Amino acid sequence: MEKITYDKLQETLYHEKMDNGLEVYVLPKPGFSKTYATFSTKYGSIDNHFKVEGQDEVKVPDGIAHFLEHKMFEEPEGDIFSTFASNGASANAFTSFNQTVYLFSATDHVYENIETLVNFVQNPYFTDQNVEKEKGIIGQEINMYQDNPDWRVYFGLIEAFYKVHPVHIDIAGTVESIGTITKETLYTCYNAFYHPSNMLLFVVGGVEPERVLELVRENQVKKDYKPQGSIERIFDQEPNAVAEAKKVIKLPVSLPKCLFGFKDTRVGLAGEQLIRRDLVTKLMLDLLFGSSTKLYQKLYDMELISDSFGHEFNSDTNYSFSAVGGDTRDPDLLISTVKEEVTKLAEAGFERSDFERAVKKKIGGYLRMLNSPENIAHEFTRYRFRGGDLFSIVQLYESITLDEVNERLKEHTDWNQLAVSLVVSPE
Amino acid sequence: MTTTLFERGQVNQIRVHVLPTKRFKTFAVSLYAGVPLKEETVTKAALTPFVLRRGTASYPETTLFREQLEHMYGAGFGFDIYKRGNYQIVTFRMDTINDYFVQSADSLLQQTFSFLGDVFTNPLTENGGFRSSYVKAEKDNVRKKLESIINDKARYAAERCMEEMFKGDVYRLNPLGSREQLEGITEQSLYQSYSDWLQNAHLDLYVVGDTTLEEVTALVEKYFRLSRTSSPEYSHDAVEFRKGEVNSVIERLNVNQGKLNMGLRTEITYGDDRYASALMYSGILGSYPHSKLFVNVREKASLAYYASSRYDGHKGLATIQSGIEIQNYEKALNIIKEQLESMRQGQISELEMSQTKAMIRNQLQEMQDSAFEMIAYDFNRVLSGKDRPAEELLAQVEAVTQQDIVDAAQTFHLDTIYFLTGQKEE
Repeated sequence: MEKITYDKLQETLYHEKMDNGLEVYVLPKPGFSKTYATFSTKYGSIDNHFKVEGQDEVKVPDGIAHFLEHKMFEEPEGDIFSTFASNGASANAFTSFNQTVYLFSATDHVYENIETLVNFVQNPYFTDQNVEKEKGIIGQEINMYQDNPDWRVYFGLIEAFYKVHPVHIDIAGTVESIGTITKETLYTCYNAFYHPSNMLLFVVGGVEPERVLELVRENQVKKDYKPQGSIERIFDQEPNAVAEAKKVIKLPVSLPKCLFGFKDTRVGLAGEQLIRRDLVTKLMLDLLFGSSTKLYQKLYDMELISDSFGHEFNSDTNYSFSAVGGDTRDPDLLISTVKEEVTKLAEAGFERSDFERAVKKKIGGYLRMLNSPENIAHEFTRYRFRGGDLFSIVQLYESITLDEVNERLKEHTDWNQLAVSLVVSPE
Repeated sequence: MTTTLFERGQVNQIRVHVLPTKRFKTFAVSLYAGVPLKEETVTKAALTPFVLRRGTASYPETTLFREQLEHMYGAGFGFDIYKRGNYQIVTFRMDTINDYFVQSADSLLQQTFSFLGDVFTNPLTENGGFRSSYVKAEKDNVRKKLESIINDKARYAAERCMEEMFKGDVYRLNPLGSREQLEGITEQSLYQSYSDWLQNAHLDLYVVGDTTLEEVTALVEKYFRLSRTSSPEYSHDAVEFRKGEVNSVIERLNVNQGKLNMGLRTEITYGDDRYASALMYSGILGSYPHSKLFVNVREKASLAYYASSRYDGHKGLATIQSGIEIQNYEKALNIIKEQLESMRQGQISELEMSQTKAMIRNQLQEMQDSAFEMIAYDFNRVLSGKDRPAEELLAQVEAVTQQDIVDAAQTFHLDTIYFLTGQKEE
């Protein structure tokens, strides 16, 4: 067991790598009633083409990582929600582009619940019948998102950016694509990505670290996992250019929804470099579009944006893009006004005082995030899967320079890499 | 279970509730301002916080106002407008880092009160009203918010169901007001209504963090410029019932998925001794993934992705919501009605009882780890007049018997069935 202390943050983290490769982290929170645990695999919707060392290359249907997540909750003896409920645990799961996370929170029977979490995720039970049944449920989940204009405008933008990379495929797939999923394809994906060496268990809350680690050690030894070779994730070459400059979707909305952003051409970053660029870009976007900026106020005064206006940056080794926007009466005027101001700022650079305030804001937001066990677990895992450390973020922020942010502004806001996604009413 | 004890005081006719604790890295501050929900005042009261967050006498320009929050290490600042029972409530929230974790020259708690006190009691005024450009822009903003309800179909269906259910009751009103009333509001009329609101609203200020009642009281006294003459108590009227047939409403819109929403009325409210039984009723019916609705509508019939119920003790109602294939309307409705009937008949297993108790216990215990959730729970006490600490509610839930739930089930009456469906005949 390794003990890592972060004095200034008043946090102590315990870590151990199990013999089968499973990474386990425990963050005790003295005084907290609840324990929150996540059991995550580095496997998401983009991993649809892969090869495990010593095995054949496979391509699998769109939406299968998410389908698998749903199906894990079924055990031979019934629904695992029932077992969690008997121990007062609230359980759930989610699938993103690059990970699948199973979780629970509970205030009683914590160690039993940890064991349930580990066991159900390590015990797949797929039958022809239960796979078919799930298609109706997920079909309704897909339909629900089809009616959601915020989701549609977001995915519309990713589709406008990416022609080849699977990030543009809806995480849940389509009714047609999930129709082709069988128990065999589910087992193929399960066996490839749910090996302990591709997974991370994070436990935060009112627990004793040694007891958690002892429990996991004993649990894993009994399961006798054989070592697995490395997983090669295969991505076909994505062109630098955007797939479509503008994508329009029709759905009933009160005002057009407009999301725009830039597709980065410099990809291939990993680890610290990827994380650093992420933070620099988010800082840069906040300096451009944050609610205290002159540009934001100008757009608001022109009644071009409302409280729905926001910005984000999403990246991994093989994709990287920003998404900015919200509801607007006039998408063209919004974008032309933004272009004019952003071009000026890219020339002049940000003011030092604005930059320093933005860093302060980010550090404050980070510290507030540490009040939430849920956020700690999610963010820690996300950083770990990228090869970084959530608890070193303050130092990283403090090391970012104004020049770096200004450089990034020039690099990222390349108007040849712009794409726009709109949702407008049918009439 | 950790006992949480708020220390209470009163200053400037504001009730002050403080929970001193070192568990969090922040100070959590909530200011509750409640007024009776009324057609004549709802829109102005809703517009007020939007204008207040544009600028104060100290920070008249919005960019300066927001920069100040960033100087305070990106202090969280926001507000919510909602209805609880027959009240319209505006809650301002601030979340500021405890000074220990950062290098700050002045106390961040003091800066928080200086800021919030300004927002609430020292707004920017011009010519006897608010700044007209702010009022104009925020009228437009609130209008857009009201119009955007249609974008989120699940929310739209839920609100339409309540509107149908409470025709003729103030609870039908949207807490953000109405577009028609926004039109006529001027910077002067809004300022006048704001002054009345400051004078007459029920005000409760909460702080959770590493502080004391004395410190908070002194800060409120210093930074909240109020000259209130009284501090009204929330009143607790008995709920009224619409008697008669179930009201069925079908509405058509361009949607892929149908939304089935139902409203039930009950005489059991938050202050009632049977409150724990009503919570158990809704829990077994549909609040969790082991509940009847999730198991029967989703897992067994594979009809929906979500199917759940929620109980609101402040108004005495329960809602059921599900998203389904349009042609499955009858099938889903029948399955849901069967579940309601099985509750009335007492078809409740020991396992359902113990699981639901464990889940409610978990929720009540988890609440202790979130400053804002502890505040929200305590505010129920203020609003309902019923002092029921979480420990006590927990003990009451543990004691609920199957017969108690069957008795509670008899008080839940299906009132409205609302279905949002596609435009084509299926």
